[in-house]
Amino acid sequence: MNAALGQGGVILGVAASLGGVATLAVALRQRRLHLIAVGRSYALLALLGAVVAVVAMERALITRDFTVQYVADTGSHKTPALYNVATLWAALEGSLLLWVLVLTGYIALVVHKFRRRLGDPLVGWALLTMLVVSSFFFLLLLFPANPFHSFDPPPGFDGPGPNPLLQNHPLMAFHPPMLYLGIVGFTVPFAFAVAALATGRVGEGWLLETRRWTLFAWGFLTVGIVLGAWWSYEVLNWGGYWGWDPVENAVLLPWLTGTAYLHSVMVQERRGMLRVWNLSLLCATFSLTILATFLTRSGVIASVHSFTESDIGVWLLSFFGLIVAVTLGLIGWRGDRLRAPGRIDSPLSREGAFLANNVLFAGFAFVVLLGTVFPLIVEALNGDQLSVGAPYFERMTVPIGITLLFLMAVAPVLPWRKASGELLAQRLFWPGWVGTATVVVAVLVGAHGLAPLLAFGLGGFAAGSALRQLVLASRRQGWRGVVGRTNGGMIVHLGVVLIAVALAASSSYDTERELTLDVDDSATVAGHEVMYVGPRTVEQSNKTSIRARVSVDGHVYEPAINRFGEGETAVGTPAVATSPARDVYLALLQVPDDDNAGRIVLRVVVQPLVLWLWIGGAVMLVGTVLAAFPGRRRSPTAPVSEPPRQATGAPLLAPANGDGRVGSTDEEPVEVPT
Amino acid sequence: MTRTRLLGWLAMAAVLVAALAIGVADDGGPRTPEERARSLAETVACPACDGQSVAESDAAASRGIRTLIAERIDQGASDDAIRDELVATWGESILLTPDSSGVGGLVWVLPVVALVLALAGVTYVFWRWRGMAAVHASDADRALVDQALAPSTRAGGEDP
Amino acid sequence: MTSPVTPESATPDPGDDVAEAPPRRRTGLIVSAVVAVLAIGFVAVLATREPATDRRRDSPLIGKVVPPLAGETLAGGNFDIDDHQGRWAVVNFFATWCVPCRIEHPELDAFNRAHARSGDAVLVSVLFDDDPASAREFFDRNGGDWPVVLDGDGLIASAFGTPKVPESYLVTPNGRVAAKFTGGVTRDGLDRAIDQIEQAAADRGAP
Repeated sequence: MNAALGQGGVILGVAASLGGVATLAVALRQRRLHLIAVGRSYALLALLGAVVAVVAMERALITRDFTVQYVADTGSHKTPALYNVATLWAALEGSLLLWVLVLTGYIALVVHKFRRRLGDPLVGWALLTMLVVSSFFFLLLLFPANPFHSFDPPPGFDGPGPNPLLQNHPLMAFHPPMLYLGIVGFTVPFAFAVAALATGRVGEGWLLETRRWTLFAWGFLTVGIVLGAWWSYEVLNWGGYWGWDPVENAVLLPWLTGTAYLHSVMVQERRGMLRVWNLSLLCATFSLTILATFLTRSGVIASVHSFTESDIGVWLLSFFGLIVAVTLGLIGWRGDRLRAPGRIDSPLSREGAFLANNVLFAGFAFVVLLGTVFPLIVEALNGDQLSVGAPYFERMTVPIGITLLFLMAVAPVLPWRKASGELLAQRLFWPGWVGTATVVVAVLVGAHGLAPLLAFGLGGFAAGSALRQLVLASRRQGWRGVVGRTNGGMIVHLGVVLIAVALAASSSYDTERELTLDVDDSATVAGHEVMYVGPRTVEQSNKTSIRARVSVDGHVYEPAINRFGEGETAVGTPAVATSPARDVYLALLQVPDDDNAGRIVLRVVVQPLVLWLWIGGAVMLVGTVLAAFPGRRRSPTAPVSEPPRQATGAPLLAPANGDGRVGSTDEEPVEVPT
Repeated sequence: MTRTRLLGWLAMAAVLVAALAIGVADDGGPRTPEERARSLAETVACPACDGQSVAESDAAASRGIRTLIAERIDQGASDDAIRDELVATWGESILLTPDSSGVGGLVWVLPVVALVLALAGVTYVFWRWRGMAAVHASDADRALVDQALAPSTRAGGEDP
Repeated sequence: MTSPVTPESATPDPGDDVAEAPPRRRTGLIVSAVVAVLAIGFVAVLATREPATDRRRDSPLIGKVVPPLAGETLAGGNFDIDDHQGRWAVVNFFATWCVPCRIEHPELDAFNRAHARSGDAVLVSVLFDDDPASAREFFDRNGGDWPVVLDGDGLIASAFGTPKVPESYLVTPNGRVAAKFTGGVTRDGLDRAIDQIEQAAADRGAP
């Protein structure tokens, strides 16, 4: 029953999406704009289809209904309840169900938000684009990746359960949904970008109206990536959190272009410039999400994270090609005509800083993309087998990161249009001292090495600049000084600084040792006493956990090796002694047993400041939420660069205008000298 | 800039340079053999695990390679000599970063080329802008703006 | 609902002294074209990549007689590949610490059971850089009853030139190495390869 219901939901989704596409195409072609509202019904039907399919699948998973193929492949009686729900996204087909649910949810939200403008062809085009995307993913669910095939379970059948790595940690329940809310969320601004290109209407407020969508999608993606790193740290047994694995890189790429977009869109708001560039960034971001999904699911690049491959690779690659072709075609055809006639007056200005930001982020994305696909390209060209691993990415991205930190410090104090050295010297004075103090403190606690010290110093500099902005805004506006785009953005910057400092510290000053210990043996690693207390075995419904009780500085932790199923796979689960100053990471490499006289082999990794990575991520989330805060209500089409002259000659808007933007960042500095 | 401000900046620069000098010079002593082995191991790919280095992986082959590296360092071999030996036994793909020569070198060169192109592009764009006269709004433009602003421009969509 | 204002459609005021849009540059078109060319190349490369499993590779051994493969097995007996002339052989190098090896294990098991019945192919594994006790436990837990040759000194692996696991070699009934797979095999992949090689041989009329 579940299979039939789920299959019905998918078919409904396919029919509704395709029907919507057809209706909207007719509506737009023949200018029968009232039909666009009909498109809304199709969108809601598609949502219904997705909901039905997901509910059917979850029901099947929770009741262990093995007549559904997907449950037979990934479910099991032994999987605990929470993980059964999360099994939805533990494998390829189910994760696509999550994708269509999120996608149709977003489409329904768009339809609701723009319900009074459904006669506008621009909205019609956007809806059309979104329904094309949803048609594609529903078709994937109907053909190559169908989870609702029927299965005839023999009596006493029990499924294998999801991959053991995905049953090991509750983060598995949150990381993929967050990631999908982010990645799928970029479909909405992309759809509007395509609509703008198709209709030629790039100069209006729609971009600002979708700004919040992009911000939310970006925020979710940020959280998804940080959770992924955290999951990697807590589950995979190697002591690191980011391995420059192809799947990790694939998901980082849209984040990078999305960040570039969030900054350069402000130039568009203020000066009306960079319109076509912003549209290109949105198209690139969406294309990269499709590329990411292709790389993850096609098995073209082997990775710890990738799903098993199937024919889906061909479909995804074709869709990627289609998207790239359509967007390049639109930009090539329309782009030049839609350019704004303005100019950026001086590189030393807020606009110049955002331009530099974009160049750096584009360069970052280029390096990551190149490193990830380079082995494939070389293999195609001359058959050589090359590896491009972490050392390459680190060497390339560290200079970019350091330059970005510097930019983060200087940009918030730059006014629009033009700045003078005088101004910078005045505004950057205290942030400069914060940066210098950070370097001094770091050296005093024993930090060394140019790269990390630069990171600390520039991080402090950037933090000082962000704090200065927040303090000034709060003085001016009270609690409103921490909400709105600029101030929320400063908080996000603070989060980034925390992450940058934590990254620099944990990668430059880590210590790793492999210890072989008998019971009651102890060793000292980086000043911490590690002692093996004894073994312990715990039986759980889905796994047997062989643990080693290890005391670190007196507290006992239990790194383990878990055996799942019939002992099919043994997966190591680390234990981490966390504290604000440093993490002591314990990975059990070899269990104590008769062969080795009860000895264990333990890898101990001591890394400073790892906790601040996750705290920084949380700060970024808080900042994103605050940045989305409405701020003082302002019409999206109101001009921002100069108040227009009306008949009365009075400016339309007061200088200290909405979003908590500090007035002093306008043309003439008005602030009290600090 | 006022005198005080200038002095303030100079003091900041002095403190910063001093701190950096101390920090960079005090390298924690010369690299111990273990540190050198570890840093070399981080650039060698584990033969059996996708993308991980022998420093991170706990596979037996990784352990073997780590032992080999440690032995060679004790015998006084240079980093490059050790890398060459590993490549000779296991092939190019044992190194996590391609060599700077040959096709592999492209992965190092292309980003630099891209950076140069980007800077050139930005410079060109600024030069072109400099040549442009500033845009002034004409009366016709102002009329257009007034027309757009006159009826309520709150067009339907509310914030979510 | 007022129709949206499109400044671009405004007619230029003849009285304007300046503010004409600069001559329309083709930058957008050129950049799009360049990116399109790169994208086409990129997609072509991706489209022609083989998946990470069942990856056929070049090897200097292909076409040559299979290197000597004889030794003590996990079960305590002796194995020699020369005893199995006249049958296809799959030589699989594996280790218990290797994750893709564990993933391919059920596939090998399926392959073994299918061909054990028909007797036309034999599967032999060679233990790579691992200790017999782990291997014994691995097979106890996961099933599988084909010979596993111990290669303590790594000579067999060297003879085959195997740097990493999993790696599998397909040997024809004549004792020649026909194919090399890296990154894990599947039962279907092996069967397909055997069919393909047999078909090619029949086409050529070669024995």
